[in-house]
Amino acid sequence: MSRLTIERVVSGYADMEVLHGIDLCVPEGEIVTIIGPNGAGKSTLMKTIFGLLKPTAGRILFDEEDITGLSPDRVVRRGLAYVPQVENVFPSLTIQENLEMGAFILKGHLRDRLQHIYELFPVLGDRQKARAGKMSGGERQMVAMGRALMLDPRLLMLDEPSAALAPNLTATIFERIAAINEAGVTILIVEQNAKESLKLSDRGCVFAGGLKCFEDSGPALLANEEIGRLYLGG
Amino acid sequence: MDALSRIPQLLVYGIVSGSILSLGGIGVSLTYSILGFSNFAHGDTMALGAYLALALLPVMAQLGLPSGSLGPLSFGWDFVASLLLAAVGTSLAVILLDRLLFARLRDTHRITLMIATVGVALALRNLLQFVWGPQPHYYTTTIQRAILIPQLGIRIKPDQIFIVAAAVLLALLLHLFLRYTKMGKAMRATSDNTALARVTGINTERVILWTWVIGASLAAVAGVLVGLENKFITPELGWQMLLSIFAAVILGGIGNPYGAIVGGLVVGISEEVSTAFISTGYKPAVAFAILILMLLIRPTGLLGRRR
Repeated sequence: MSRLTIERVVSGYADMEVLHGIDLCVPEGEIVTIIGPNGAGKSTLMKTIFGLLKPTAGRILFDEEDITGLSPDRVVRRGLAYVPQVENVFPSLTIQENLEMGAFILKGHLRDRLQHIYELFPVLGDRQKARAGKMSGGERQMVAMGRALMLDPRLLMLDEPSAALAPNLTATIFERIAAINEAGVTILIVEQNAKESLKLSDRGCVFAGGLKCFEDSGPALLANEEIGRLYLGG
Repeated sequence: MDALSRIPQLLVYGIVSGSILSLGGIGVSLTYSILGFSNFAHGDTMALGAYLALALLPVMAQLGLPSGSLGPLSFGWDFVASLLLAAVGTSLAVILLDRLLFARLRDTHRITLMIATVGVALALRNLLQFVWGPQPHYYTTTIQRAILIPQLGIRIKPDQIFIVAAAVLLALLLHLFLRYTKMGKAMRATSDNTALARVTGINTERVILWTWVIGASLAAVAGVLVGLENKFITPELGWQMLLSIFAAVILGGIGNPYGAIVGGLVVGISEEVSTAFISTGYKPAVAFAILILMLLIRPTGLLGRRR
């Protein structure tokens, strides 16, 4: 079954169309990675799925239900979670408060959920009262992912999860992403430097100029010499 | 009396007026951090609160609330009830304004919004003047004896102690709200990053509603306390304080409610203490000087952070 289906979506900003009719299918339980150069429309697609930008044409289906143009808090209620590329934590809030905000729409106690996140990212459990703004880049990424996982989403969207991370941290983050996927969460990743990500991915898509120009399984895309030369830095 | 020996007394006055500036500043700072614009109507919101309390005072007495003075204070329970209801009324008025005006401009440029607040400021002030006239009004004509503390060389009126105590209590309540309640945390989160708050699932429209309610309530209380301290209210009372309030907010770091509290006290004390050395007429100039100095030396304010 398709968890997320994008049908001929046209979107962008007031004075500039960025996506010129994108089609994409994210099957349930898989990891899909979108690669492509800066300005290809990867982040625009994420923002459009999440209701931060309104598409001017096309449809977005989540578990076969139309979510086109829903406001972000409605999208969250449907079971999608989104980790933006930058500024993805609340710097003046503590780690625990950041995670609590992830479950804002829930009433009642969060202890079990918090415990679950601290098991997934033990570093965070040790520093619950620390302000997120004082954390390193890798720790912030974990806070951001932890926050997105607080509601047990059915689809997790990650915008460049390894951007600006040290190589050893990148490995840790992708290992966690694989574990999250094992637990049953479908994952959509956008990456500029996507080798690590494609290794994990069931499918990979190449975006360029606001259109999808190529699609294959993750490993096959990684092995494709032309793609490697054009988009993966040789 | 020489200038230096007057300073302890001026400090007292400064703390009193600083407490009021702090209460006014919190609303300006919260509005700026959550909604992203400077609210020039905040002073007139204070005046609205002051006049609502004035209108409610006889109603409370008719409802049978005792108007006899509370201990050494110059007012009774009817005044306290009017103060609280004025805060509720001012909040409702401001929510209405948001629905009618600011909500429609939510996604426009912040300059557009700022100019809209100037329009609201003028409209509010003229409305107050239209209904109550330009002449001063009085909550009470009771004359109050100041308490002398000779050891410190100061005299202080019970009403002034009430003003400072009320400000401290409200600041404490605000702190507990921001620190420990879910909505308080959501307000801090929205202030940090509105777009992230939205994709996290925080209902930012409800956060905005709470921002207006807190800002308007504290403004109303500040307006009434100005009336208590000055002994009279005019439609101009908030507008006249707006420069000092903005100086306080920028000094503390705009967008940070704790900064507004610190800034309010610093500006209030500086303005009063300056009168030992220069003419009282220069008080606004002192606020202006603090504002300019701060913008030159540390534009983010004492407790401000980069935005």
